[in-house]
Amino acid sequence: MGDVAQTQFDSIPSFLGVPVGDLEDLVSGQVAMAGYFCDNLARPAAGQRYLARQLRYASRPGKAPANAIDLGDVNVFPLERDKHFSAVIAQSAAVLEIGARMVLVGGDSSGLKALGIAAQKVTGADVPVIPVTGGIAANLFHTQPVILSVDLQELAANWVSQPRRLTGLSPAQMIAQIDTTSGNVVAAAVFGLAPALDSRGSTETRAALAILQAVTDRLEKGAG
Amino acid sequence: MNNAQKRFMTTGYGGLPFGEFSQCEAGNIGVLGVPSEVDSGPRIGTSLAPDELRKMTGQLGTDLPANGRDLGNLDLSGDWSGVLMQLVTQMVDHDIVPVVLGGASDVASAVLRALPDLPVVAAMPLARRDLIERPANTIWVGLNGGQPADVWDQISQRTMAWRTARQLDEGHADTLDMPECAVLWIDISVIDLGHAAGAVGLNPGGMKPETLVSVIGAMSCSWQAIVITGLAPARDTRGMSELAAIETLNAALRNG
Repeated sequence: MGDVAQTQFDSIPSFLGVPVGDLEDLVSGQVAMAGYFCDNLARPAAGQRYLARQLRYASRPGKAPANAIDLGDVNVFPLERDKHFSAVIAQSAAVLEIGARMVLVGGDSSGLKALGIAAQKVTGADVPVIPVTGGIAANLFHTQPVILSVDLQELAANWVSQPRRLTGLSPAQMIAQIDTTSGNVVAAAVFGLAPALDSRGSTETRAALAILQAVTDRLEKGAG
Repeated sequence: MNNAQKRFMTTGYGGLPFGEFSQCEAGNIGVLGVPSEVDSGPRIGTSLAPDELRKMTGQLGTDLPANGRDLGNLDLSGDWSGVLMQLVTQMVDHDIVPVVLGGASDVASAVLRALPDLPVVAAMPLARRDLIERPANTIWVGLNGGQPADVWDQISQRTMAWRTARQLDEGHADTLDMPECAVLWIDISVIDLGHAAGAVGLNPGGMKPETLVSVIGAMSCSWQAIVITGLAPARDTRGMSELAAIETLNAALRNG
């Protein structure tokens, strides 16, 4: 097989085409991307768990962030709440303890809660969650660790296949907000979208992918 | 009442409990589905609207800014428009706001016949003769240019206020003189099909859903009754039309 065929058939789909790795491959300063396959614990809406898979399949190699790896999916136990949270918190904490930054992709907002507890464990202090719609972000020191919450339900109805609200942000507005988030972004969660798994979902998938790229870029930047 | 849907739904529109008119208190709303079907034209499907709206508010977890009861769907056998008129009159007499989920435009006609003296705010693309002939002036929201000349003449002679979709997009709603209380009729065909496809009427150049929500939400008027017609949910697989209806209704209830 030639190189082209190898690229087409041999590669494992990963977020934004970044290399696939494990915890042992992770070094301080890197961005660890992980899928979160759970959508029944906070603001349940079936289908949000498919976002990670959709974004991996839609990713194309070529524009991959230089300093990120795809860790696969975090282990989840959606039917055992306590076990689920302790497992996700432990896995997230393991990433943050290395000094890497983490983004959870897909699922519902319960991943954000687990990230918050993990960050608190690692830093020893409360880590504020900054919503992508803005808010308290403006007054933060650039060294203040923060978690970025990217709720894709904030997208306006035109951008998603099954809208839950008429008004909201465009992907460009969301990306601009992500880019200008102040503080030291140590982790992020991109969640809230149940992607249509047919051609109707292509717009929202492309939008979500661009937003994930912006989140990864912001995480690579660290202290803003 | 045809209460078959109660067997399948535990809560009604916007999480309201199903109940009877007698369980409503003054200041409450009474949501009533009237699943009539359009009788002509290629675009049908309004009979599905009441139950689809209930289903969608359940999926969205919509919080209504008002209390009350969902009275289920009206049984359309027999003289249903007479029964509807009677129900609407009784509710208004008891200071309960009827929120009527059509159905076709015949649902709104019955509601308006029950409240003949109240002015109407009509969000619809084409002016209707029966509205022009009411004693109180109608305020027209989202009219397009497709009215017959004699209808325009009557609107003009009676100095009725009207705004086109374009005017509303440009922010010309704030100059409308609103009556203290009125009936609100929203025909979903007022929305441009390109934005929300679930309407029985074709209205290119019509309103954007978000414009409709903001215009109705900005009207400081005490709504005595609200009726939604012309929604054909099966024609809109994205659910934008139901979403527009739900958000507009919420905006109206928040203010009125």
